[in-house]
Amino acid sequence: MADTPDFLTLKHNRDQAGKREVPIRRVIMVLVALFSVAGLLNVFGQRPDTSKAAVPAASIKLYAPTRVRGGLYYEARFTIDARQDLKKAMLVLDPGWLEGITINTIEPSPIGEASHDGKLVLELGHIPAGATYLLFIQAQVNPTNIGHRSQDVALYDGGTFLADVNHAITVYP
Amino acid sequence: MDIVLRAVVVYVFVLVLTRAVGRRELSTLEPFDLILLVMIGDLVQQGVTQNDFSVTGSFLAVGTIGVLTVIFSYLPWRFQILRPVLEGVPTILVEDGNVVEKNLKRHRLTQEEVAAAARVDSIESLSQVRWAVLETNGQISFIKQDGDS
Repeated sequence: MADTPDFLTLKHNRDQAGKREVPIRRVIMVLVALFSVAGLLNVFGQRPDTSKAAVPAASIKLYAPTRVRGGLYYEARFTIDARQDLKKAMLVLDPGWLEGITINTIEPSPIGEASHDGKLVLELGHIPAGATYLLFIQAQVNPTNIGHRSQDVALYDGGTFLADVNHAITVYP
Repeated sequence: MDIVLRAVVVYVFVLVLTRAVGRRELSTLEPFDLILLVMIGDLVQQGVTQNDFSVTGSFLAVGTIGVLTVIFSYLPWRFQILRPVLEGVPTILVEDGNVVEKNLKRHRLTQEEVAAAARVDSIESLSQVRWAVLETNGQISFIKQDGDS
């Protein structure tokens, strides 16, 4: 049997080399693959979900992602179906809609904006009975905004509460 | 603070991933591998600096990665027990002209690949090889049998 090169031994470098390393490498690669699969399955966002609430006067549907990552652009779509005349429709958004999130645009532009108990009030104006009102918010997550926040949405007609949609967003780094 | 943390997380992730991928894959620089390296670099950069275009941000990210590089080269130098974990172990692939099959299998290598690496070193046949060792950097080094020139 030939002498091994310096610093190499048959035991360590022939018989045992990689014996423990290979299973560990496989476990790590499986974990990495699972992470990618989790990404495919929307664990880390940004696929939108639909949340709804309805009362006799109107229904509200929110189509927006519940999980996003820092820097992502996303859209939130609000659909209001008025079954009765809404003279002064208003959407009241939790501060989580704005906390660490840049609103690029709100279309159609609300006729007014206000703050109520720290919440953003969007005044939409008159929605006739039978009409559908669509509101789009285009937003981008600030990269430093990590965490979980409530993004509830409430629909009012003037001072009268009609319905609310429970929604929350989780921002991954 | 975030940029430093992101640099640490990404550095450790890339370190673990490259160790897990296997050294042989990393030592080859085929055109595809080169493109892949550039892609990985670009993707990693976005994760570390994100929308920070400042010189301070660059200094923080590059400085952190520089410090981590020193730390991860110091650790295996200072603590021998960490060397197999952080750098791996040189693996004997050929002994006295005989291929060590189980070690080829562990590193997803074929005899043809070892023979190709031998030809690069002007060795015609693996029977002329006394030792072939897969080094920790992914290169295969060859020591010829006595009497072979």
